[in-house]
Formats: sequence, C-alpha cells, structure tokens
Amino acid sequence: MTKTFKTTVFRYNPDNDDEPYFQEFDVDYEPGMTVLDTLLFIQDKYDSSLAFRWECRGGQCGSCAVRVNKTARIACRTKVEPNAKLVLEPLEKMPVIKDLVTDMSQVTYRLRRIRPYVARDKPVQHPEIIHSEQIEKLREIRKCIECSACLSNCPIVHETWDYPGPMIIRQLARLELDPRDVEDRVAMAMNEMVYTCTTCKMCEDICPKSIKIPSLAVELLRAKAVEAGYPLAEGQQAFVDQIKATGRSVPEKDKSLLSEVSSEEFLVEKPRGRVAFFTGCLIDYRMQSTGKALIEVLNRNNIDVIVPKEQWCCASPAFRTGDLNTAHAAAERVTEIFEQVMEKYNLDTVVVACAGCGKTLREDHRPLIEEKRGEPPKFKVYDLAEYMLDVIGKENIIPPKGRIDLKVTYHEPCHLGRGQGVVDQPIELLKMIPGVEYIDDPMKNRCCGAGGGVRAGQRELSQKIANTKKEYILATEADMVTTECPFCTIQINDMMKEENMKVRYIPDLLAESYRKGDQ
Amino acid sequence: MDYKTIMCDVLVVGAGGAGCRAAIEAAEHNLDVIMLSKELLGKAHTAMAEGGYNVSLGNVDPDDNPETHFKDTIVGGNYLNNQKLAEVLVNQAAQRVFDLEDMGAVFDRTPEGKIAQRTFGKQSWRRTAYASDRTGSEIMVTLTEGIRKTSVRVFDEVFATKLLVTNGTISGVCAVDLKYGDYLVFRAKSVVMATGGAGRIFKVTSNAQLDVGDGYGMAYEAGCDMVDMEMVQFHPTGMVKPESAKGRLVTEAVRGEGGILLNNKGERFMNRYYPEVMELAGRDQVARSIMTEVLEGRGSPDGGVYLSIAHLPKSIVDFRLESMVEQFEDAGIDIRNEPMQVSPTAHHFMGGIKIDEHAGTTIPGLYAAGECTGGVHGGNRLGGNALADTQVFGAISGESAAKFAKNAKHLGVDREEIVNEFERLEAMLNRKEGISPSDARSELTELMWEKVQIFRKEEDMQHAVKELHRIEEEVVPNIKVDVPVKRFNPGWHQAIEFVHMVTTARMVAEAAAMRKGSRGAHFRVDADPNDKGYYNIVIRKGKNGKMTLQKEDLLITKITPP
Repeated sequence: MTKTFKTTVFRYNPDNDDEPYFQEFDVDYEPGMTVLDTLLFIQDKYDSSLAFRWECRGGQCGSCAVRVNKTARIACRTKVEPNAKLVLEPLEKMPVIKDLVTDMSQVTYRLRRIRPYVARDKPVQHPEIIHSEQIEKLREIRKCIECSACLSNCPIVHETWDYPGPMIIRQLARLELDPRDVEDRVAMAMNEMVYTCTTCKMCEDICPKSIKIPSLAVELLRAKAVEAGYPLAEGQQAFVDQIKATGRSVPEKDKSLLSEVSSEEFLVEKPRGRVAFFTGCLIDYRMQSTGKALIEVLNRNNIDVIVPKEQWCCASPAFRTGDLNTAHAAAERVTEIFEQVMEKYNLDTVVVACAGCGKTLREDHRPLIEEKRGEPPKFKVYDLAEYMLDVIGKENIIPPKGRIDLKVTYHEPCHLGRGQGVVDQPIELLKMIPGVEYIDDPMKNRCCGAGGGVRAGQRELSQKIANTKKEYILATEADMVTTECPFCTIQINDMMKEENMKVRYIPDLLAESYRKGDQ
Repeated sequence: MDYKTIMCDVLVVGAGGAGCRAAIEAAEHNLDVIMLSKELLGKAHTAMAEGGYNVSLGNVDPDDNPETHFKDTIVGGNYLNNQKLAEVLVNQAAQRVFDLEDMGAVFDRTPEGKIAQRTFGKQSWRRTAYASDRTGSEIMVTLTEGIRKTSVRVFDEVFATKLLVTNGTISGVCAVDLKYGDYLVFRAKSVVMATGGAGRIFKVTSNAQLDVGDGYGMAYEAGCDMVDMEMVQFHPTGMVKPESAKGRLVTEAVRGEGGILLNNKGERFMNRYYPEVMELAGRDQVARSIMTEVLEGRGSPDGGVYLSIAHLPKSIVDFRLESMVEQFEDAGIDIRNEPMQVSPTAHHFMGGIKIDEHAGTTIPGLYAAGECTGGVHGGNRLGGNALADTQVFGAISGESAAKFAKNAKHLGVDREEIVNEFERLEAMLNRKEGISPSDARSELTELMWEKVQIFRKEEDMQHAVKELHRIEEEVVPNIKVDVPVKRFNPGWHQAIEFVHMVTTARMVAEAAAMRKGSRGAHFRVDADPNDKGYYNIVIRKGKNGKMTLQKEDLLITKITPP
C-alpha cells in the first residue's frame, strides 16, 4: 500500500478571502520525493488552482522558494520526510499574491537600486585578459540563482527593509570582486547597511548553492570598508582597541578567571583524556563561574583540563567587523600559544565554551593560518557539548544526579549550530539532567541579534531582533532558556529582564546538577 | 470584456537568452521597449543550459576559425541548415560572446587569461566556451544584469496568447497577466518572438515547465511560415531516476570531459556504432545508439545505460562538472564513484519560425530569435550552438525590430478580434463541463512520446496525426479549468498553454509523416531509400484555415550535400 503523509499548505486569494487559512492534503509518498513533487501532486490530484512558482525542477532557475516548516528552501531540492509534518508557506516579508506566490517587486527594486551590473568607464579591448585567480572568489559568489529564499529567514530583513538582505549584499560583493567593475561598491554597501548583518549564517544554511554570504560578501565588504578608511562604530572600535592593547576584547572588572585559578593544571586520577581550555574573553572576565563549571564538568568526567595562564582573544569582533590587521595578528598569537601548550602538556585538543570563539578558531583561524604557513593549527577544537557527546561518548558520561525540575528550552547560538555544526549535542546534554523537561523551540536557531558587531554598533536594531527572539522563547512556555554562548547569554538576559524566564549557560546547569547529586 | 492597452515601440515576447539580448539591443536605439516574460525575469530555460557556447575563438586550438565552425554546423545538421543563417551564426558568435563579457559574464579561463574552450560532440576543435557546467545560468544571470542596466520595461509573469496582425503587418499581441488575471493588449510598432522551444509536448523532457511551444502556436496562427518542425532533438543523456527527475539534462560536457557510455555488460558500446568519435558522435547518433542498446536488452534495469566518469581526475569533476555532482547527489548518487543512469530526453526543437538573416519572419514587423526559430541548426543541433544562437540572433532581431519601429507607426487593431480572443480564454473558466487541462496534457504528451519519438515509422505517424486531429477538434474546445479563478491560477495557465501544445504537436507529427526518409534527428525505421531528404518542409496556415505543408529546396551558400 502506498504510504501517505499530510501536508499543510498556506492558502490565500486576497480577491476572495479576508484572511489566509491552512489546508491539509494527503499526499502519496514516493522515495526521493521533493517538496515540489508534493506541490505538483496536490495540484494534480486536488486543486489545479493551487498557486506556486516553479520552472526547471533542478535547482537552476530559483523560482520555487517557499517556507518549508518555517525555513525558506527551494522546493525542487528539498526532500520530503514522510514521517514528519510538512507545512508549506510563502516566503516571509513579501506580500502574498496568491497561496505560495509572493510579490517580488521589493526585491527587484532593491536590486535595481544598487546598479547590479558591471559598470565600465572605458571601451573594452578584446580579448579581455582575466586570470583564473582573479575570478576564483567571484566564481563562487556568482552561483546565486536569485531564489530570494535567504531574504525570508534573515533576522535583519525581518525587522527592517533598511537592510536589503543577503542576496543583494552578495551582489555588491560580486561586483566589488569583479576586476572590471569601476563603481564604488563599498560606499554602496555602507549605504545598504552592510554593518547590520549579525553574520548568523542563516542565509548560508538556506542557500541552495551554499554560498558563504557572511564571509564571502558581508565580511569581505566590511574589510574593504575598513581598508578604505570608513570608521567602525564606536562600540565596535572599543572592542578592537581593547584587543590590540590587552589581548582581551573587554576591560577587566572583577578578578579574572585566569588570575583566580590556582594553577594551570586541573588533573584527575585516572584521566581518559586531556584537553586545553580556551576561555575566551567573556568567560575569563565576566563569567568566571561558568569557566569553573566547565573545568569541573570535565574533571568529573575524568578529563584533565589545562588552563593556560596566558591566553589571547580570538579576535572575533575584529574578524566580524573587518579589522583584518587585528584579526590576523590575534589568529597567529592564539595558534602560537596553544601549540606551545600542546607540546608542553602533550595534548592535541582544545575545548571552547563560547560559540563565537569556537567558530572563529575553526572557520577563521584555521584557513588563515593554513594559507600563511601551509599548515593549519595543529590542535583540534571542540565545543564542550560536542566534546562530551562525540569524544567522551554518551555512554561514558558520568550522569549528573541532582534533580532540576524545570521545563527547559534551548537557544542554539548561530556560531555553534551553523558555525560549527553542533546542533543536537547540547540538547542531548540537557536531556541527561534528571527532572529536566526539554521543550523544543521551533525557532531555536533564530539569531538573538548580538553577533556580527550589531549589539556593539547598532544597539537599537539589535534589541529589535532580540525582542522578536524573545517572543519565540516565551512561546515555548519553558521556565528556563539555556544556551552555549556568553554573548547570547548576555543578550538574552537583557531581553528577559522583565520576564520570569531564567537564563542559564549549559555548563553551569550541568555543574549544578552534579553538585546537587553529591549531597 | 475588459482589457487594458499598453503602448510601446518594440515588444519582445520572451525573456530567455534571445529575448533579453533582443531587448538590450533594441533599447540602444532610443526606443521604448517592453519585454514580456512568462516567468519571473531570469528564470527562463536558458538558465538550464549547461555545457557551453560555441565560438571559434581558437583560444585553445588556434587553428579553429568560423569556416570550420560553419562546416561542423552544416555536417552536424545533416545539410538541412539554412546556410545563410549558419554563416551569420559562426561569424558573429565571437562578437556576441565578447558582449556578454562586457556585460559582466564570468567564463572559465585559459592559463593566459582568455576564455577557455572545451570539447563538444561533432566539432573539429575545442570550441565550446563555458562557465563550469552552468554556462546557461551564467549567461542568464549576465543578461539579467544587462537588462537591469537598460530602460527596458520588463512585464514579468505576463503570458502572450495571440499575435495581432493588421493588413498583413504585425501590430501587437494579446496577453494575460498571470499574477492578477487581467487581460492586456500590447500595441507595438514591431515585435520580436523569443519564446523558446516545446520540449514539454513530450512526456520525458529536459525542458522547463514553460517550454510548451507558445511561440510556435501563435506564429502559426498569425500566418508565419514554419520550417523543419519534424526535427526534434532528443538529448542522449537525460536522468532516468528518480521518477520525478526523469528527463533532466545530463550535460554533454560530461562526455566532452571524457565520460564514457557503458551497457549492462560493461561494454563501451559506442565502439560498435561510431568507433572514430565514440561518445562524441552527434546527439542524434548517440541517442539512437543508446536506445538500440536498451531495446536489444543491454540496458540498465531502469531502462537506460550507464555514463561513467569514475576514471576522471577529481579536480576536473569538481571544477567543471559541479552542477552534475549536485544534481546526482540529490538523487543519492556520487558520480565520482558510481555511474549515472541515462537515457534520451526531448531537448531541443531545430525547427520553428522561418526567418531570414535579419531575423525577419514572413510577417512584416515580426522578428524571431532563438529556439522558436528554424533553419540555423538543420536536422541536428550541435551542443553549444544553441546558446550562441540566442545571442547572435537575439541581437540581430533586436536591431531589426528597432530599425523597423523607427520607420513605422502604430497600426490600428481589430477590437472584435481582441474581444474574441479574451472570450476564448474566459470560456475555459466558465465551462460547466469539459476536460481538465492536466488530463488533456497527459494524453498529448504520452501520445507524442510514444508515437513521434526517436525511431519513427509510418504507422505511428499516421496514428499520431489522426489522434492530434481528434484532440484539436474534441478536446481543445472543451478544456475546462477546475477552479474558475483568474488570479494566479496554474490550472488556467495550463489550459491556455494546451492549445499551443496541440498546434505545435500537430506540426511536428504532420511534417514527420511527410518526410519518408531518415535525415538528422528524424529517423525512420521504415525509411524510403529513395528519399535522401535534402529538402526542408515548410508549414503554413492555408487560406481555408487548414495546415498546409510543402517541401522546399535547401538554401545552400557554400556546402553542397553529398
């Protein structure tokens, strides 16, 4: 018998309907079926007036972007999971023409506004000599098929059309990278608010061509802006100055973790492994207890922890905002420090508790160092939750025993989920704590609005993004939201000031359960 | 019957490679240009072309030149090409590829920094310029950027349904705004048809959903001469699995880069058919070889053959065949290690609206370019010549239309004819009983796929012709849209398209029935050995409204058939 599954489709014909509604259809499942196949099935079998766009069915034309279970995807390349629910909605932000067909005129208008073509100021001699190296990056970024899916889930576009969205910023970078184009694309990028992107990488995740828009477009244009002499926002510059002067992105307030801990070595009796702990600035200077909790959790799981007294900022703020001099210097410094630690303590693994630091070490330092010296940093980098689940292994984790009777939800830091591919492990850890009722937030991977220099440089916008995020978190009706990033923690704490929602760092909650269990 | 009339100087119908190029060219003449796009701008089928653009730059093989390109095109076309048009193609391909670069196209490069060129089937030299295996997409993106630089007014999701002719000269078109369902009349001093092909009249096709032959239908009804309609190219390598991807193009670049075809015994069977050129024989030849293997029981379990690139260096696969890697990954196949299953798929119409070297049709003021025209490619098109065709004839048609418009004024239009047209469309919505467009379409596409396919025979041709007559008389007037809504209603769009599909299919079948010998893509298993096939078949609507066909002499300038 044919397996069927239910598909819920957004319906709206503004000529006849006062408001949209959802309609459910039974669809026959075929292995390998895509969302487009599903829509065609419904159109063919139930309702030929169901409106959606499609042309090529092969990921080449970019017509068929819709929201699939809240996230925009191109329908022809998105596989259907027959045992899960399937909800199809039109792209966000664009007015609906009918059902899943939206009015794209805003996108067209915004594209036209940036003069989206190679502008020349003199006639071309043929053949025009262009070398492969000159177009290497351009070739990547040019794969865009203008499906507009990335605009739909962009947390910035969600708040304001001041920002034209990832696709259009990408087009500016495409032109900036083109040796033939003569326009001042950096000035245009500033005018198009390139500094409002939080580098949350949702666009990169959605992009059917996997274009790395945050790094290849946003950060590239920012670096060009810095190079051209555009000043950073005051708050962003402060971070960068602080890094250059002290190796920390924030000023010291209370006694720092590194000065507080008695020794570099936290050794256990029968170690099953040994790691170095990269604290990052915020854990060292602002969240000392979280740092201690991390050491404790690892020690309790029979892992030796080395906490090098000398540490240096990963310079994420500099990478994100385009100050590449500061960024590159920090990458070299961090690599040097931890390679020495590796040798001194005979270890090859660095554990990070900050999503931003982990992402920067992995995605930014690694290729950069490799490019500079032909060899990437010698150590492996893990997020704490990732290390526990993937290296120690779930079956070997010493179970925390203290009950924490709370409904707990999770906010996935962008630079952990999409930055490092760590998605399920933190949730697995939460579920190991007795008493915890885990509540999934379907929007858990929506950006909190802190990253990319936005909290530092564009506080008002950052708060708008945070307030939207807050609504999603509150909708879970959990007692507590947990996360795995100091920056997210600060941002969420701010947004929850008036609310009854507790905010916790996962290592803290784990340590609490362990300690309770001891009593 | 309410409709709005919109005025312009030059109207371009179609927004693919040829349409965009025509509009860009026309706009350079200080005229008001409107381009109608049935889809959103940039989504046309051109974006799905993969392999490349033929141009005898000689960047890789310096001995190449337009003469050789011409010869390859004529020999490849089985001598049926209009040689004047083929000359234009090969002589202007270089300038047009430079235009694309001027507009911002990013083609892959040679070590010296010139445009790189790869091997394609039936060509004497490495001639095909490319951007990985997404060359069409690169060109479409470039033209979209190009259009956004011009004053061209783009009306997207507007579907032209009928050409308006006043005293024998073009005067405008009737159209439907797909978004809101409004009826529109565009009055223009000249019109360019750039409506693409009609792969969708076949059940298995590489074509986008919009390629249903609108242009063929409209031009025929308006009285244009149509040529070579029996010549349909079945691309030898379409995807076989999964069912929903059946027919999707597997680019010729796979074979151009060194991919080999194998049957279920692991034999490189092309050795048996075309040992000198193997996988790089003409598309018609490779398609027939594959089908022969399948029909004689040496095919894969799913009814295709195997195409393998496992022996190619990873760097070539990743850099030059990146879309293929992605396309098969979606089907769960890693082509770096596993062979692809492929079988022929309806791909390209060599035939179409008859044009002269200025892209003029037989109706004054009406021009045409790209796949909707016939004559350039003869009986079989070389891979890589279609993209070149769109640019060369796109530019010519735009220029010709502009020049015509400069010396013309808007002609009057027959309002009764306009009202009749819109009432015809409206009737599909209002019918109480009738045949659903999707059922009608299935019937047609299955008939064409089964009877008017790669191996043709008299009995099938006669059957198809008879059936198509019946469909035209019984189904077309009774098409009924399920939901009578005008705002973005795909059911209605399909119903309107169906008429064009039937007209196109009839032209294909009638011409195929008339041609008794084998020539090019038209292969008769019962070929009459006395019919060498060195003629073109021209179709036009007779005074009595009946389809008339006649054989015409080939247009030869340089190369006489053997």
